Amino acid sequence: MKIYGDVLFIIKSEARKEKVVLTHIQLKTNVPFDRLKLYMGELKELGLIQDEPALKLTEKGQQYLREYGSVLDFMKRMGLAYS
Amino acid sequence: MDNLVLILAEVVSAIICFILVRFMIKPYQYTGESRYFGLPLGFVFLGISYLFMGFALFSDTLIFIEDMKWLQLLTQAFAFAFLAVTYYFSKQSSERKRLLWQITFAGMIVALVVSYLIVFVPPTFVLPSYKTVDEYFRIFNIILALYISLQALRSHAMKPGHKTIWFPLGYVLLVFSQYSLLVWSLDSSFSAFVGAHVLRLMGLFVFLFVSFHTFASSTDVTTKGKVSDEEV
Repeated sequence: MKIYGDVLFIIKSEARKEKVVLTHIQLKTNVPFDRLKLYMGELKELGLIQDEPALKLTEKGQQYLREYGSVLDFMKRMGLAYS
Repeated sequence: MDNLVLILAEVVSAIICFILVRFMIKPYQYTGESRYFGLPLGFVFLGISYLFMGFALFSDTLIFIEDMKWLQLLTQAFAFAFLAVTYYFSKQSSERKRLLWQITFAGMIVALVVSYLIVFVPPTFVLPSYKTVDEYFRIFNIILALYISLQALRSHAMKPGHKTIWFPLGYVLLVFSQYSLLVWSLDSSFSAFVGAHVLRLMGLFVFLFVSFHTFASSTDVTTKGKVSDEEV
């Protein structure tokens, strides 16, 4: 699940650039390309990302990312490790 | 009148615990890691244990009171055990540790069922008096709550910040609450008894405040930096 959060974050930060390149996401997440494509497919199926006209987060994806951030913050406050 | 105040304290504690479950389940929901499942389970058990004590205080039937007190004792011990195990396993995420967590969790469920059977299902065993068992359970709870507090404090000490001090503080208050109950059990000190309830409520309110504050000020991680291990 952590990988989904990381991928969503990278897509969001990369979306500020002109074009989101899958290779950039792969380099930053450090996962094999075929597995990354699998994750991307799952994220798309969940309605968290869209690739038309450009790869970016959907409203649902942004909401998920916000909540994911809050949960990580909550865990940090509780002193719980997450790796 | 005194009983009414105590029942109210137990009911309020239980309600807070059940509200907290809503927040405590989120790490499990969002990470999908079963090692965090002990967190909501711990608070559910804690809430139920306060309800049992509330029922014991409310009831007039002696046998019912005894049963409720025993249930409270067992349930509360398992609540602290679930929380402590969660903190222990939160540090590790290897396959081996995942398997170990599943074995531990299964073992705890078996222990839970067996302990309830021993106490309640006939033929009941000859058990030591409730007071003696209560003292041992308080010591057990103190050790576990102390372990949780130290884990949370260690995490805070590694990256000090005003946000990360509140949860350890809440756990420390629960440790002192258990200690006060032990003192009350040993010397029947009324102030220790009242203090235990006040400290417990303070601890639970700290948890509640921090939880609401975290999710109310729901920040966008993208404005803070990459979601990574450093974040946690």
